[in-house]
Amino acid sequence: MQFDAIVVGSGITGGWAIKELTQAGLKVLMIERGREIVHGEYETELKAPWELPYRGVGDAAHYVREHQVQMKNRHFNEFTQGLFVNDRENPYVTGPDTDFTWFRSYQLGGRSLTWGRQTYRWSDYDFDANRRDGHGTDWPIRYADLAPWYDKVEEFIGVSGAAEGLPQLPDGKFQPPMALNVVEQHVRKVVAEKYGRCLTIGRTANLTEAKADEGRSNCQNRNICIRGCSFGAYFSTQSSTLPAAMATGNLTVVTDAIVEGIDYEPATRRVTGVRYVKTKDGTRSSATARMVFLNAGAFNSVHLLLNSRSEAMPNGLANSSGALGTQIMDHANTLSAIALFPQFNGRTTFGNRPTGAIIARYRNMDVMDGAGHTRGYSFQGGALQSNWTAGKREAGVGAALKDKLRQPGMWRFVLVGWADCIPRDSNRLTLDHAKTDRFGIPQLRIDFAFGKEEQAALAQAKEDAAEMLTAAGGTVIMGMDQPGAGGSAIHEMGGARMGHDPCTSVLNKWSQAHDIPNLFVTDGAQMASSACQNPSLTYMALTARACDAAVKMLREGAI
Amino acid sequence: MTEPQTSGWNRREFFSATALLALALGLPVAAVQSTPLAPEDAPTDGQRALMADVSQLLIPATTTPGAGDVGAGGFAILALAHGLDHARAAPHNVAPYERFLRRDGSVRHVAWLESELDARANGNFSALPPAQRLGLISALDAQAFATRESESPWKAIKSLILTGYYTSEAGAAQELRYEPVPARYDPDLPLTPDFRTISNDWTAVEFG
Repeated sequence: MQFDAIVVGSGITGGWAIKELTQAGLKVLMIERGREIVHGEYETELKAPWELPYRGVGDAAHYVREHQVQMKNRHFNEFTQGLFVNDRENPYVTGPDTDFTWFRSYQLGGRSLTWGRQTYRWSDYDFDANRRDGHGTDWPIRYADLAPWYDKVEEFIGVSGAAEGLPQLPDGKFQPPMALNVVEQHVRKVVAEKYGRCLTIGRTANLTEAKADEGRSNCQNRNICIRGCSFGAYFSTQSSTLPAAMATGNLTVVTDAIVEGIDYEPATRRVTGVRYVKTKDGTRSSATARMVFLNAGAFNSVHLLLNSRSEAMPNGLANSSGALGTQIMDHANTLSAIALFPQFNGRTTFGNRPTGAIIARYRNMDVMDGAGHTRGYSFQGGALQSNWTAGKREAGVGAALKDKLRQPGMWRFVLVGWADCIPRDSNRLTLDHAKTDRFGIPQLRIDFAFGKEEQAALAQAKEDAAEMLTAAGGTVIMGMDQPGAGGSAIHEMGGARMGHDPCTSVLNKWSQAHDIPNLFVTDGAQMASSACQNPSLTYMALTARACDAAVKMLREGAI
Repeated sequence: MTEPQTSGWNRREFFSATALLALALGLPVAAVQSTPLAPEDAPTDGQRALMADVSQLLIPATTTPGAGDVGAGGFAILALAHGLDHARAAPHNVAPYERFLRRDGSVRHVAWLESELDARANGNFSALPPAQRLGLISALDAQAFATRESESPWKAIKSLILTGYYTSEAGAAQELRYEPVPARYDPDLPLTPDFRTISNDWTAVEFG
C-alpha cells in the first residue's frame, strides 16, 4: 500500500507527526516496534502494592537478569516494568570509557507513557548557545521561529504552570499552576529576595483543567502517571495525539514491527519507503510513501539512518556531512543538595502532586558568571516529608517505632542540578557490525563521556544549592557534584543535528535532511545543543513546525 | 492474616518446589515461579517462625495488626533472597559473615539472624520471654545503626520487614492511610495528632 507519509515511532514526536499530517489530509502509516497499548487498559494502574508479589518494589533478581540497565531508572519498578524494555533482548554496545544507561520504552506511545511530563520552552540563550561560545554548530533557528509552535503544542497537550516573565524560561499558554507547598513557598521567597532567582512550580503536562471535548479529565493528584493514566490527565500519545489522528480516518498503525532500513533512490535523491521486521515471527515486510518522518527516539533514529547505508550513501543515509551520529548529549545531573527544615514539622500536605518545583537557570545569561563553564544549569526538586521508609535508615524498634512512623516526619528539600551538555564530536553513535540483535540488525554503539564543562557546572550548582537552602534556614546534610551516568537524565539527544551548513549538519531548519528532501527527523536527534531544561516540548514544537513545512512542500511539488 | 501453617514443608523435596515455596511464603505461585529460591535459601520451619516473631517484635500489634500478623516475615525471606534493597550485595568485610556467605559473596541473612540471635541469647532465642527477645532485638538494632558504615545484615532484614508491613493492606491502609485517588492537593495543613501518613505518597516513599 502506498502512503503519503510513513512515521517511524509512536512516542511524543511520532504522535505529533501523525496528528499534524493526518489532519492535513495525508494518508499516514505509523510503524511502532513495540506492542499495542490501548488507552485506559493500563495493567497496573489501579493495583495496590499488596496485590503485587514484590509489593511494587519488584523482583530485583529478575531485574538483574532481564533489565540490568532499565533497573537503574528510578521510575522502574514492579508497577512500571512492563513499560520498559528487556535489556537482554535489546542489547547495545558501549565504548571502553563509556557509562551510558539507555532507558527505553518500546510500545505504542513509547516514552510518552513514561515521561516525566516537565514542559519548558527554550529561549534564545539556548538557541544562541553554540554560536556564542563556539561549541558545536549554530542552530539555524531562534526562539521567534518556534514561539507560535510552542503556543500550538501547549494549548493542545495541556500544560499547567505559573507565568514568571523570565527571558531564560519563556512563559507559555498555561493552565492554572499546581501549588507550591508550604516549604517551597518559603524557599521561593528567600531565593527571590536574596538572590533574585526564581523558584517556581514545575511546568507539567498534567491538566489542572479538564479537556472534556477530548475525553481528558483533570489530574487526580495520584502521582502514578507513569503506570498510564485512564483519566487521560497527562499528555501521552494515547491520551491526546493518537485519538486526534485516528479521528481523521487517515491513519494506519502497525505495531510489533522494527524498521530496519529506509529505501533510497539515487536517481531522484528521494527515499521511497521503509523495510521492517515483524517481531512476533521475524518475517520481513515493507511499505512505500512520498515522505518519511523519523520519530523513533534520538538514538534509534540515528541507528536507522546509519543502518540504511547503501552503495550511494555508504556512510549512512543523509550523511554526506559525516556528522551523523556525532555530538550526542544528555543532561549532566546530580543530587546537588538535600537540606532539612525541621521548623516546618508542624505543617503537612495532602495529595500526591505529580510535579516538583524548579529553580530556573541564572548563570551565563547576560553576564558570564559560570565558574569554568559557559552554559547554564537549573534545579528540579522540591520539599517533601519523610514517610515510613525513613524507618529503614534509623535505629528504633517496637511500639515506639510504629508510633513514630504513623505520622509524616522531617521536612527535607531536595535540589537536583541539571547542567547543559556540551556537544562534542567524541560523543557519538556508530554501528557495531560484529554484534547483531536477534533479527540480525547491527547493534548501536555508544561512546559518551561528560567533560570538564559539565563537571564545573555541577560543582558550582552544588555550592549554590547549599548556599540557597542554608539562607532559607535549612540544614544541608548532603550534596554531590559528579554527574550520573550518561543517559540518566533520559534526555539523550543529538546525532542528526540541525544546522545552516550541509557540510557540518544533517538537517536543515525544517528538520529536513540536507541530502534528501523527503526525509525528516523530528525527534531528539535533531538537537544541536541541549540547554538545561527538559527538551520534550521543543521536540513537539519542532515536529509540528516540520509537518507544516513538509505538507506545504508536498503541495507545492517540492517533495 | 497470620503466618501460614505449613509444617509439611520439606526443603529436600524438589518436586513442585515452587508451589510449596509459594505456599510456605504465603504468596501466589506466580510470585516465585520465575525465580524460585535456591535450596540454600529455602527457610526451615524454625527460620520462618523466627522471622515472623522478629517481624512482630519490630512492628507489634497495637490497634492495628503487627508485622508478624500480616506475613511480613515471609515477604522478607523472599525479598532478602531476591536482593531487594540491595540485599544480595556482598559486604566489603566478609570476615564476620563467612559462615553465611553464598557463592556470590552475599549474606544469607536469615541463617545469620538465627545464629546471631541464638548467640546473643546464650542458647535458644525463641525460648526467651517476649521482653527479653525485644531487648536483644533492640540492642542488635542500636549497634547496626550506630554508624553509617556498619554492614550489619540486620539493616536489610529490618528494611524489608518494614516494606513487607507498610505495603501490606493492614500496614498501608489500616495503620497508615492509603489514598488511591486524592483528587486534590492541599499544600499547607496543620500536622495534627490524628493525621496519619499517606502510605502511597510515592515521592516521600522514595526520597523520604
